[in-house]
Amino acid sequence: MSEATDDGQVVRLKVNGAELSVAVPGDEPLATTLRDRVGLRSVRTACGIGICGSCTVQVEGRAVSSCLMLTAAVGERSVRTCEGLVGAEGAPGRVQQAFVDNRAYQCSYCIPGMVVSVDAYLGEHPDADVDEVRHALSGNLCRCGTYVSILAAVHDLVASARSGAAAATPAD
Amino acid sequence: MRRPVLGADQPMPDAVDRVVGTIRFAVDHAVPGMLHGRLVSSQSPHARIVSVDATEALAVPGVRAVVTGADIARDPRVPHPLFGVSRPDQPPLATDKVRYVGEPVALVVAETERAARAAAVLVDVEYEDLPYVTDPAEALRPGAPVLHDQWPDNACGDWRLQRGDVDAVFRQAEHVVEHVYHSPAASQVPLEPFVAVAEWDDAGSLEVWSSTQWPSAVQRVLAHMFDRPLDQVRVHAPPLGGGYGAKGQVKIEPMVACAALLVGQPVRLELDRVEVFHVVCKHEATMRLRTAVDGEGRLLARDIDLLYNAGAYGITDPGAAGNALVRANGPYRVPAVRIRSRAAYTSTVPSGSYRGAMTNQVSFAYESQLDEIAALLGKDPYELRRLNLLVDGDTYATGETMHDVHFIELVDEVASVIDWHAPPEPPPSATTVRGKGLAVILKSTPTPSRTECRVELHADGSVVVFTSSVEMGQGAFATIAQLAAHHLDVDLSRVSVVGPDTARTPFDTMTAGSRTTFSNDHALHEAAAHLREHLDGLARELLGWSGPTQHGDGCVSTSDEGPVPYELLLAKAGVDVVDVTGVFQSVGGEGMKDPSDVHGHTSVHWHQGAVAVEVEVDLETGKVEVLRCHGASWAGRVVNPARVRQQNDGCMIMGIGTALYEDLQVVDGQVVNPNMSDYMIPSVLDVPQALTSRALVSDDPAAELHGVGEMTIPATAPAIANAVFRATAVRVRDLPLTAERVLSAVRGREPQEGA
Amino acid sequence: MQILRPSSLLEACHLLESDPWDTRPLAGGTALVLMLRQGLVAPRAVVRLDGVDGLDGLEVTPHGLRIGALTTLTDVAASPVVQAHAPSLAYACSRVGNLRVRNAATLGGNVAEADYASDPPSVLVSLDAWCQVAGPSGGTRDVPVRELITGFLTTTLEPGEVVQAVVVPLDPGGRRATYEKYISRSSEDRPCVGVAASVQLRDGAVRGLTVVVGAVAGTPQRFDDLTAQAVGTTLGPSVRRSVASAYASAVDAMDDARGSAWYRQQMTEVVVRRALERIAPVAAGGGA
Repeated sequence: MSEATDDGQVVRLKVNGAELSVAVPGDEPLATTLRDRVGLRSVRTACGIGICGSCTVQVEGRAVSSCLMLTAAVGERSVRTCEGLVGAEGAPGRVQQAFVDNRAYQCSYCIPGMVVSVDAYLGEHPDADVDEVRHALSGNLCRCGTYVSILAAVHDLVASARSGAAAATPAD
Repeated sequence: MRRPVLGADQPMPDAVDRVVGTIRFAVDHAVPGMLHGRLVSSQSPHARIVSVDATEALAVPGVRAVVTGADIARDPRVPHPLFGVSRPDQPPLATDKVRYVGEPVALVVAETERAARAAAVLVDVEYEDLPYVTDPAEALRPGAPVLHDQWPDNACGDWRLQRGDVDAVFRQAEHVVEHVYHSPAASQVPLEPFVAVAEWDDAGSLEVWSSTQWPSAVQRVLAHMFDRPLDQVRVHAPPLGGGYGAKGQVKIEPMVACAALLVGQPVRLELDRVEVFHVVCKHEATMRLRTAVDGEGRLLARDIDLLYNAGAYGITDPGAAGNALVRANGPYRVPAVRIRSRAAYTSTVPSGSYRGAMTNQVSFAYESQLDEIAALLGKDPYELRRLNLLVDGDTYATGETMHDVHFIELVDEVASVIDWHAPPEPPPSATTVRGKGLAVILKSTPTPSRTECRVELHADGSVVVFTSSVEMGQGAFATIAQLAAHHLDVDLSRVSVVGPDTARTPFDTMTAGSRTTFSNDHALHEAAAHLREHLDGLARELLGWSGPTQHGDGCVSTSDEGPVPYELLLAKAGVDVVDVTGVFQSVGGEGMKDPSDVHGHTSVHWHQGAVAVEVEVDLETGKVEVLRCHGASWAGRVVNPARVRQQNDGCMIMGIGTALYEDLQVVDGQVVNPNMSDYMIPSVLDVPQALTSRALVSDDPAAELHGVGEMTIPATAPAIANAVFRATAVRVRDLPLTAERVLSAVRGREPQEGA
Repeated sequence: MQILRPSSLLEACHLLESDPWDTRPLAGGTALVLMLRQGLVAPRAVVRLDGVDGLDGLEVTPHGLRIGALTTLTDVAASPVVQAHAPSLAYACSRVGNLRVRNAATLGGNVAEADYASDPPSVLVSLDAWCQVAGPSGGTRDVPVRELITGFLTTTLEPGEVVQAVVVPLDPGGRRATYEKYISRSSEDRPCVGVAASVQLRDGAVRGLTVVVGAVAGTPQRFDDLTAQAVGTTLGPSVRRSVASAYASAVDAMDDARGSAWYRQQMTEVVVRRALERIAPVAAGGGA
């Protein structure tokens, strides 16, 4: 009954492709578990109410606010954080590289959440245009106002997806 | 020959960590054995603390202590508990009484955050409510509730300036205009919250990791508070997840350091978002401007009265009102000026720095009024500015002679990009209207101030720069590395930067006021000269060289010898490392020595910015949309074009928020929107489709570098207000220009039509 | 706090009924976890509804478009079936909060939460939608959304009851519906005023009109006596103005950070009129 006890239940999670077990109190948000127990520090809490997007992670490939999800209710669904979007050999993933190339970072507190959101949206909507991604990103807030550079990264990603799709289509 | 390192688009060296999320902020710092703090905050705007009953809280498993202000006040190890950079008026935790809702009253310290959180709600504080005041004008009236016994008139700054016979000019002037403008409290909203970890060792030394823009101030304040020598207080400032002024001065560090001392174990405190909203905010301001003009629109005299809300503690006051006074005249040639600038304590969130500090408010007033004058005289606002803007050699309101000012170039730049003389595009419907507006601003820079850079040249040819300038996303370290590579003429890839750790890095006044690039440039210039002298000495003494040397491309040579790479020189000399320090000490600022009579030199140089916008106003809803926005700032030279653009763009985006909807509202002594749903900041969809900026530079390759961290934000709100006026013929003198406020003004002017 | 995972809907209802004050249902979690974090609720246990049979599905039935309670708002918005049969609902669901919230929040949870400033409830009320509510007795009852929501975060759901599905009546032909969301501040803001309107047309004339105003008061505001005047008309400009102005007078508007009661009344007039312009017969829609 006491809210202070840490006598949580052991929960199995699939995070960034690995299975792990953590003991968590029932009311612990996923953001806290990932950050403080699993050590995935790209997951950051800022607003605590699902507005800002600093704690964005993918659950079954879709972006969610991990501050508004209970760890104990995640179940079998797979979780991915920005650390989990790094490619082979530790190189930045596709979306991450586009952010690096376009200098789409300032203080960068919000940036991993942005990357996770863009990656999720383009994963589900590979043909999306810049404006659709812009709307999908509207719930990820950046107080430095890096939005122009972030949109430049999105533009590159959309353009490369299109040219990739065009290249994959045999010419007639 | 390498390509020039200044002006090159070099990424931040830790770009991948920033994007992947592996960069470590203060919020990621942990030390072994650390306990966790949780605040108990005041529920009353002004009250005596009758008792703090922690019995139930202490019974929660894992709770180690509930520290109160009284505990700190009676502890002989804390001889000077009151702190404040501008005025020592603030206790680490409220002692005897609380002065605003949200003020920290007690700190629960527990083994886990969870236990601390559970216990904090069980701390029972009994208050005896006192009368309270939240309006600064009321606070200054006789008989108002007194916040601090030491300042019974609630005054927290009273600055005056008088130049010329102002009253005589007003008596004779062709036109006199007078308006009152208001700018509300607003919140900086850094996404990384305030966080600090404090640890004492057995020998009585204190080590602190904090999300701060002012590590040297934190060190000094804590050393004084605990009466320790400076070398026994070590402050680390990891990269910040946003600052915007919020993390200037000294904030939660004293509370955490006191708790660690009293509990005898390291303590970490991370505030939650509601608490962040209660630490510091932008100064609310009421500004009365009376201006005399001739028939041509020349500004003849100004009489300005500024009143700021300092909040419950003077984080930057009483000095802040003086900074505002210096900037209140705007970038204009006005022969006769009288200004009074005051700040008053009230029972509200303490005010402090906010990107564009003490400039955003006055620029809204003077740039709005300039357009009001233009409208009165039937003049074009752009031409009216060109007629009055300061140029080099002009005398400013303070009496100092202006130099290196480029206001006309700036206004020309933004007017040109916004197609000032072309009418706006036709609006999409009969119930929408469009207009353009512009604004120009100036800002003094902290003077005097000091920046030191320690530079090590190692035998492997690598260069390490030690700096106490804080990396807060502006790219300070990357800029310092580029400046070091430039001044030392070595390859950028050989330069690394060690950031603020007061035990290792030399002094820097603060990372604020857009002074970092400018002052590090000077300090590194000097460090490079010292390094060359040192290397010349080595060459003479150990290699027997004689005659004048040349340095370039990481090599030293004489007419007879070399070129010898630096690393080879060190190897030949058997020297492992050469260590030099460059210092920049800006001098002047004596114009502000006497608050009752500001005159003379106030700023080592002037920051300059301009913004032009095109807006669309929905006449049925009052909602303002910024369609186009172009900003310009004076940079002199550019170290990194991408980062300069991001500073200018980011300022305008932040400025759009404060222009249109950001407003930290106080009702019945309580902030009613301390969360990011009720207090909204701009999203990507709020960025105008056309948002561009340009940093203006000099033809002179030796031109002075100017910081660009806050030059476009103060011009954004007045440019928008002016554009709304030109679209609707309605003048809104209160920020923000909410849809409701604009609609009320439109309706007031044009009575509602029948249905 | 315990996390309970029932194996059936009936078990879920029993768990909730057994300790109604201290047990909460958990769907997408966006509302409940927020309240937990803010200390507004501190239940002994939450009952996970995900994975419980009978709460999913999205299909056209003879009774209407049936949307399983656990369907996320993202899936409602993206569903071609919803877009075809209830486009105003699809649109409203696409405008709730941000994408992360829509990816987690469910339509059943949205209705059961009864948040005054959420977008879907007013659309559901405008379409005469109802909820299929399962109870601990093993049966279900149908409750119109209009009757379900009775105030701020308050519904007529009884202890142990769970919204199983939301059902939207099918368009018999000639229905035009819209949702107009007016936000007064940042694009990410909750609505200052949200207006759902639905008109049934035959031969270019109005057979029925419903207008529902959300985010201005504790419940979606619907006044059928005020829309009656539109029946038989072509929903021309004067009728639209008249209905809009009547709504502005009728709503009992509240103050919050998004606007004062006065402003909300003004916006009710504007947004109702704009919503009606959008659904008016094309011939009458343009011009003044």
